[in-house]
Amino acid sequence: MLVKKLMRQNETYIFFVIVLLAFVIQARSGQFFTPNNIVDLASALVVPGLMAIGAFMVIISGGIDVSFPALASLSIYITTSTLLDMNYQGGMLLPIVMVCVLGALFGAVNGFLIAQFNLPPLIVTLGMSSVFRGFMQGALNSRQLATIPEGMSSFGTSALFVAQNRTSGLSSRMPVSFLILIVVLIIIFFVLKYTMFGRGLYAIGGNETSARRAGFNVWKIKFLLYVIVGVIASLAGLIRVCMMTQCHPTNMLGMEMMIIAGVVLGGTAITGGTGSLTGCMFGTILIVMVQNSLILMGIPTFWQGVFLGMLIIIGTGISAYQVVRANDPARKNLGRARL
Amino acid sequence: MKKILALMMAMVLVFGVAACGGGSAPAPAAPAAPAEQPAESAPAEPAAPVASDKDESDWEIVVVPKDASNPWFVRMDVGVKEYAQKTGLNIYQRGTADIDATLQAQLIQDLIASGVDAICVVPVDPGSLEPVLKQARDAGIIVIAHEGASLVNVDYNIEAFSNDQYGAFIMDNLAEAMGEEGVYTTMVAHVTNASHNEWADGGVAHQKVAYPNMTLLEAEPRVESEDNGDIAYNTALELFKKYPDLKGIMGTSSFDAPGVARAIEELGLTGKAFTSGTGLPADNAALLRSGAVQSLTLWDPALAGQAMAALAVHMLRGLPVTDHLDLGVEGYTDLVFKPGSTTVLEGQGWIVINAENVDSFGF
Repeated sequence: MLVKKLMRQNETYIFFVIVLLAFVIQARSGQFFTPNNIVDLASALVVPGLMAIGAFMVIISGGIDVSFPALASLSIYITTSTLLDMNYQGGMLLPIVMVCVLGALFGAVNGFLIAQFNLPPLIVTLGMSSVFRGFMQGALNSRQLATIPEGMSSFGTSALFVAQNRTSGLSSRMPVSFLILIVVLIIIFFVLKYTMFGRGLYAIGGNETSARRAGFNVWKIKFLLYVIVGVIASLAGLIRVCMMTQCHPTNMLGMEMMIIAGVVLGGTAITGGTGSLTGCMFGTILIVMVQNSLILMGIPTFWQGVFLGMLIIIGTGISAYQVVRANDPARKNLGRARL
Repeated sequence: MKKILALMMAMVLVFGVAACGGGSAPAPAAPAAPAEQPAESAPAEPAAPVASDKDESDWEIVVVPKDASNPWFVRMDVGVKEYAQKTGLNIYQRGTADIDATLQAQLIQDLIASGVDAICVVPVDPGSLEPVLKQARDAGIIVIAHEGASLVNVDYNIEAFSNDQYGAFIMDNLAEAMGEEGVYTTMVAHVTNASHNEWADGGVAHQKVAYPNMTLLEAEPRVESEDNGDIAYNTALELFKKYPDLKGIMGTSSFDAPGVARAIEELGLTGKAFTSGTGLPADNAALLRSGAVQSLTLWDPALAGQAMAALAVHMLRGLPVTDHLDLGVEGYTDLVFKPGSTTVLEGQGWIVINAENVDSFGF
């Protein structure tokens, strides 16, 4: 019974693909199942993982957000440059509070425009993405900040533990920020499962009118959603800057496509209403694995883009095909009859 | 009341659009007509020197970098501003929000439509920019490029130095760090980027002649960093894991060597693996002092920007461009044509930065 249930879930297939890919990489490089490679992947997962959680929540609600990398870049740029000007010497608490407040503020702009005027989220976030970017580069005259406050860089380079590969002697640090990913994951998991807000996201994504009739406060849920996404994306931006120990304002722009692709790969319906956090994380892990293993697999530089693109098309194609199949009444009945 | 208001707003909108459309419509039409005749002769040979008939104070010379926030081009902007102040001419830099070939093409089209006199461009993707630069030249605009030696539709392309020689110069630095032996590979921003690949080729050619104990990694002779420090870092992590005998990475983009250095440091390979490449002093001072990177090579983007602007002024004044041209900008006082080319001019503007002199540049 359990097996049957698992076989009908998208997550199971993604999991198999991940395992299969891991063995392919292992076979081609002999390096996949080494302690330091696993740690490298976990470290590379932190920022995309956090952003994927935000993107996932938006997609569940039937919307789409393409502004989160620009939003994160703006809040982290303001934070870092202000702290540098202040000659800030303290720890991580103030930077975290600052990015969260800024992220919530910018997210609230998105949320207000979408919830109040019922504008299409794609248009709003596409526009706001340009606004955030333009504000950063025009009004703030952003440039690369080669140094960041001491507290931030020591947080970015501090390690939970160091994984050592005995044969090659290479070592990799498991960043402390991995804990932030875990904490956010757990919080959002419970929010989605056990709160009115979380259930409301699924309800709105399924059918907004029905959700409203059922008594959900749609305005409040939508507004809050974009605020939360702004906070999570800004946290991810802060972590990226701390880990790189420098602030590059355009470094994250363009990440949104890969993040959304990962979420959709994980079985989240792009039309909203269905999808699981587990699937979202699996999809993101798959994308991060592929992005960080193309050289390990020995794929020539020229072919790497093609390979990534193909993965996205195939992955999202399967997901889209399943939606079509689920909506096809003839097939649905056929499926039932077989069961 | 609401309906009347809506109607009025709609009318304002329509008139507004009509007014804008009316204003800009003749502009593209004007350069299109005379384009027919010069189009045929233009690509073959740079036009004979013709002085601009406008007053010098009416000239508008625009420098278009790859983007506006990369510190490399922020530095270029400093040089361009300085040159504008020195000459008192209308010369300024305008960049796109991020490094994107499409955005850059759009920006140049906008500049063509607004009727500037000269465009100095650092192309993101030279190949895809050709049609737009052709439009610019057909419209009578002087086009000067930097880091775009392969471009056809330009008046001239200025390089700070011969790309082969600069590549060899980076290789000398890398070889010194590596003790002139071991396996190495090359990193470029994109495999489509003209200059980076020519440097890498020059470096490899130089290694074959000068450092016989070094070998190029056959399986991955060239990797991409996409002008992104994080990608350079992750790529280097993979390379060192997959190829345990890899000892050096020759970087080209200003993000390569710092990103690779971060990977070397984290993997515990400091002193065992090495990198060299282009980089700005201020951004890399800590890396140079810690010994993660032994030396970086550079030319000054501020001077490159000034040289482009100076050549544009030189041409607008109708002066001839010949071998041994002196633009009055340091490192560009003896420009010579690249052998076999009538458009590519090369200077002698390279410098090396190490822990000792990193603080002496002021940028």
